[in-house]
Amino acid sequence: MSTKVSEQNGTRRSFFTWFSSAALFGSAVISALANFVFLKPRATYGQPSRFSIGKPDAFPSGARIAIETRRICVAREGNQIAVISTTCTHLGCIVGVADTGFACPCHGSRYDQDGNVTGGPAPKALPWYQVKLAPNGELEVDTSIEIKPGSYYNV
Amino acid sequence: MSVKTALAEIPRTIWTSIFRHSLPSSELGQAQTSFTNFFLHVHPVKVNRHTLKATYTLGLGLISFFLFLILTVTGVLLMFYYVPSTTQAYDRMLDLRGSVAFGTFLRNMHRWGAHGMVIAVFLHMCRVFLTGSYKRPREFNWVIGVFLLLLTLFGSFTGYLLPWDQLAFWAITVGTAIAGYAPVVGEKMRFLLLGDNTVGQEALLRFYVLHVVVIPLAITLLVAIHFWRIRKDGGLSRPAEADMAPGTEALSVQVMAAPIELKPAEGKQSFGLMGLVRGPFTKVGNTPENTVFSWPNLLMAELFVFILTVAAILVISLLFHAPLEEPVNAMHPPNPAKAPWYFLGLQELVSYSAFWGGVGIPGIEVAILMLVPYLDRKPGGVGRWFAKERLLANTLFVSFTLLNVILIIIGTLFRGPNWEFVSPW
Repeated sequence: MSTKVSEQNGTRRSFFTWFSSAALFGSAVISALANFVFLKPRATYGQPSRFSIGKPDAFPSGARIAIETRRICVAREGNQIAVISTTCTHLGCIVGVADTGFACPCHGSRYDQDGNVTGGPAPKALPWYQVKLAPNGELEVDTSIEIKPGSYYNV
Repeated sequence: MSVKTALAEIPRTIWTSIFRHSLPSSELGQAQTSFTNFFLHVHPVKVNRHTLKATYTLGLGLISFFLFLILTVTGVLLMFYYVPSTTQAYDRMLDLRGSVAFGTFLRNMHRWGAHGMVIAVFLHMCRVFLTGSYKRPREFNWVIGVFLLLLTLFGSFTGYLLPWDQLAFWAITVGTAIAGYAPVVGEKMRFLLLGDNTVGQEALLRFYVLHVVVIPLAITLLVAIHFWRIRKDGGLSRPAEADMAPGTEALSVQVMAAPIELKPAEGKQSFGLMGLVRGPFTKVGNTPENTVFSWPNLLMAELFVFILTVAAILVISLLFHAPLEEPVNAMHPPNPAKAPWYFLGLQELVSYSAFWGGVGIPGIEVAILMLVPYLDRKPGGVGRWFAKERLLANTLFVSFTLLNVILIIIGTLFRGPNWEFVSPW
C-alpha cells in the first residue's frame, strides 16, 4: 500500500516537474522570439515603392535612361515603355546601363537589354517593374510589383 | 594607542584593506598573491613549465585577448566623438582626423587592432589545432573558440560600416547580400540586420549597437568561459611527459599516476578534501612536480606579451593610417566593390556561385570546425606541434586553411574592375 502511494506521488511530482520545466522553457523561447518581432521594423524609412518618373515625353524612343536614385532603368521603344531594375540580382550592386545591356561592376555579371543574364555569377534576370500612366499624365512605377519580362506598357 | 599613531596608521590601514598581502617574499606569499587578488585569481597558483614555453603557444591567445582590451579602450574613446547618423558619421571621421587630439592615432589603433585580432584569433586556432589541443577534455573549449572567431569576424564586419565612406557602404552592401542567400531565412535575416531593404540609416544604427554593445558583451562572456575552461580542463594542453619532474623516470610516473579509486558510500558521502581530482593529474601522485609559481613566472610572461602587443599596435598606428575613402554615394559602387579582406575568399567563391560561395561552403566549414573535437577523438599527439600521430588531421587542416588563405589572396590582390583577373605587378 505504502509503496503504491509513493509511486503515485512520484508520478505526480515528475509530471509537475516536467510540466513546469516545459512552461518555463516555453516562456523563455517566446520571450526570445518576441525580441525578434521587436527588432523587425514594421515601417521602414526607405524610399516609397510607388513613385512618379515624369511625363512619357521625357523618354524619347530608343532611350535607355537610368534613374540612379530609384535604381531603375527606363527603356522606351516606339510606344512601348519598360522599367527594369538596376539592382544586380547577385549581390545588390548597381549595374551600369549600356546600349548592349547591363554590366555589374562588382562581380562581373552581365545582362542583355531585357535584363536576361548573359554572363557572370548573377542567379536570375533583372526584374521588370509595373509602370503605368497616372491620371495626371505622368508615368508611375511600382517597384513592389514585378511583371513578366517583355510585357511593355503602351503609351 | 595615541591619536597620533592611530592617524599615522590610517594610510597603511587603507592600503592593507585593499591589498591583503605585501609583495610576496615566500612561496606561501606567492601562492596567496595569485589566490586573493581579483585580477590574478584567474591564474592557478602554479603552472606547468611547459605552459610558459613561448615556442609552444606563441602567446597567440594572449595576443588576441590583449588586442580585445586595446579595442575596447580605443573603441570607448572613439564613441565620445562618433554619431551613428548617415548625415554626421562621415563628418565625424573627418573631425577625428582634423580637430580631435590623437583622433587619427586612436582610429588607427582601433582599425589595425581589429585587423590584428582577426589574424591573431585565426592563428591561435591554427596553433590549437596543430598541437592537438582540442582533444579530450578540451573539446568544448574549442567550440567556444570557434564561436569567438565568428564573433571576432562579426565585430570587425559591423565596425566596417561605421565610417560611412564608400568602402564601408559597398562592403556591407555586398556582405549582407551574401547573407541573403541563406535558404529560407536568408532574406529575413538580411532585413532584420539592415532594418530596411537597403543599407541606410537603420542599418548604420543597428550595426553601431551590435558593434559597441552586443558583440563586445558576447565576446567578454565567452572569453570568461574560455579562460575558466582552461583552468577546469587542467591548464594548457601539454604532452604527458611535461607533468614529470626533470629526471623522473616514466615507469615511476605510470605507477604514481594510477587513478585513485573512489567508491561512493552507501547513501551518505563526505567531502573532506577541497575537491576531488579526477584522472591521472592527481596532485598526490605527481610529486615532485614540474610546475612553477604563477607569480612571478606566468605574470611576467603575460606582461611581456602585453607590452609586445601594445608596442606593435602603436608602431603600426604611427606608420600607417586607417583608410577613409569618399563619403557614401549609394548610386555609384566603386569598381570593383570589395568586402573586408577576411571575407574576400568568400567573395571570390561567390563570384562563381552565390549560394555555394556565400552560404553553402562557409556553412559547411563552420560546422566542420565546430565538430572537429567530436570527429577526431583519437587520443595521442597532444601537446606537440605537428605530432606524427596526427599527420592526417594536420595535413587536412593545413590544406583547408591554405585553400582559404589562397582564395583571400586571389580576392584581395588579383581581382580588378568587373572582378576580372588582374596582376598586382
